[in-house]
Amino acid sequence: MAMISTARPPVAGLSQRFSVLIVLVALAALLFGVERFGSRILVSLLAQAIIVSALAFGVGLLIRVSGLVSFGHAAPFGLGAYGTVYALSGAAPLPPEIGLPLVVMFVTLVFFLIGLVISRLEGVAFSMLTLALGQAAFVAATKFRSLTGGGDGVIIDMPRQLYGVHADVLQSPYGMFVVGVALLTLVYFALSIAECTQLGRLAVAIRENEERVRFLGYRTRVLKAGVFAVSASLAALGGVLFALYQGFVSPEILHWSFSGSALIMAILGGTSALWGPVAGAFAFFFLKDGLADVTTHWLAVLGITLILVTIAWPSGISGAVQFLLARVPALFAKGKGR
Amino acid sequence: MLINALNGLVYGSLLFVLASGLVLIYGLRRVVNFSHGALYMLGAYAGYSVAVSFSFPLGVVAAGLALGAIGVLLDVVLFRQLSTRHPLVTVIATFGVLLVIEDLVRSVWGTQNYAIDPPALLSGVVEIGGAPFPVYRLFIVGASAAMAAALAAWLRYSRSGLFVRAASQDPSVAAMCGVRTALIGPMVVGLGAAFAGLSGILAAPFLSLNPAMGSEVLVLSFVVSVIGGLGSFSGAFISAMLLGQVQAFGTVHTPELASLLPFLLMSVVLIFRPQGIAGQKV
Repeated sequence: MAMISTARPPVAGLSQRFSVLIVLVALAALLFGVERFGSRILVSLLAQAIIVSALAFGVGLLIRVSGLVSFGHAAPFGLGAYGTVYALSGAAPLPPEIGLPLVVMFVTLVFFLIGLVISRLEGVAFSMLTLALGQAAFVAATKFRSLTGGGDGVIIDMPRQLYGVHADVLQSPYGMFVVGVALLTLVYFALSIAECTQLGRLAVAIRENEERVRFLGYRTRVLKAGVFAVSASLAALGGVLFALYQGFVSPEILHWSFSGSALIMAILGGTSALWGPVAGAFAFFFLKDGLADVTTHWLAVLGITLILVTIAWPSGISGAVQFLLARVPALFAKGKGR
Repeated sequence: MLINALNGLVYGSLLFVLASGLVLIYGLRRVVNFSHGALYMLGAYAGYSVAVSFSFPLGVVAAGLALGAIGVLLDVVLFRQLSTRHPLVTVIATFGVLLVIEDLVRSVWGTQNYAIDPPALLSGVVEIGGAPFPVYRLFIVGASAAMAAALAAWLRYSRSGLFVRAASQDPSVAAMCGVRTALIGPMVVGLGAAFAGLSGILAAPFLSLNPAMGSEVLVLSFVVSVIGGLGSFSGAFISAMLLGQVQAFGTVHTPELASLLPFLLMSVVLIFRPQGIAGQKV
């Protein structure tokens, strides 16, 4: 029942430890290169992409682990962003350094509860429900003007310092890019470890055959809701970063077309690797930026790209990379075996 | 009060025509068409253009035919290619179709609002219970009821309707019995898309035309089919009528909450009956 591609049983070992090292070195080189050679437009594009990639990460994680497609992940993203507005306003009872992590935890909890209800649905019905719930959040945000400022949005009064970092740094593209890369790297490692645990495998087992797992005596609904909550918490993290970076939040980020964009990113990137949706987010932003220069019909081109990817190459960018990685070493193995 | 209920009926019957297109496609292909709202919008705009340069009835015919053709194309190009894959893959592909149609509408008709007058014959007002009520709204109810009845009669009594029902139940067994399922697909999806287009042009004089109309109505038609139970016409009928009334009375009594009410209704139904009103337990 694997929808697009499946999470393979991870193989831990020496090569895995090396790959962690390689990833870290590559990231450091990337950050250095961007700082040294990146143009202003490139860096601001990267900052936007890294923020939204947290959302795409969440959507992709749900597809990868649960096989469920969400059309409503703008809701946790928006809730995270509006939560940030509140945590940074004078009305909040706690200092923002404690408040911001609490915002993410709060959204996680809310979506765990929502997950308990909507994980009763499967497949397509689940997707439709997430779309409707996401749109309900959008409508709510435009209606309750006292909290959200309605359609006009709210401006955040940024504190001078956050976690000892000057607010200007967080609102500069390069600063946000560094923060985003650091946080997402942490999340990535945490999730790849979580996938190897018993719970992680159980979640995949539920995707494959929920009834059998229930027969084994597990409460599948709680775990399903848990996966949903984790994927929502990633979106909420994106929302918090978005609010900090923009200094301004409006209901637009709750609109379902935003959820749809995140889904496109996840599909473009593919979900056969954990990092796929993140790669998809970067591809999306560069594609959109490149297309906007060439044609005004970038929306249609995006749609056609999506259709072509689903028909011709459903495993996306990460699938392509894995495909190449599996083939390339064979080319260098001189006549050994194959 | 009576006027409110009538307005709810008008709205509900539009939703039902729209949702029955969705149900028709879902029944055969097990795919929820995310481009359904976009098809509705395209029907409204295409019908509008024909109605302005020729006449309203011609606009209705044109919308139905054009969208039917698009539906046939959609089935042949997309649904059939993806029929062996997981249904969610097709759902994502229809999302791509939605983006293409939205872009098409924006570039052909722009982003401004359009309004269209109902034809002269239907533009008057009748007294109902001492209050004026536009004739056109009654016409919407009548036309929707006629379309629904025609669809139901076709599915139940005609030979091709029988084939559609058979193929919806089990395509491979139907094919073994000699039903040409290759023809059923384009026919059903074409009809479903035509229903979307027809409800678009029917709604056009009643609501206004703008590029956001498709996504609004898509979400509502999803609410209708989820509450009713996926793939069930009778369930969709009950929930469309219910939703129409909720919408009509909601806007009068709690204007602040009105647009949230459908979602509340849906959440309540799903908590107690996750398979919907008429859905079967899987």
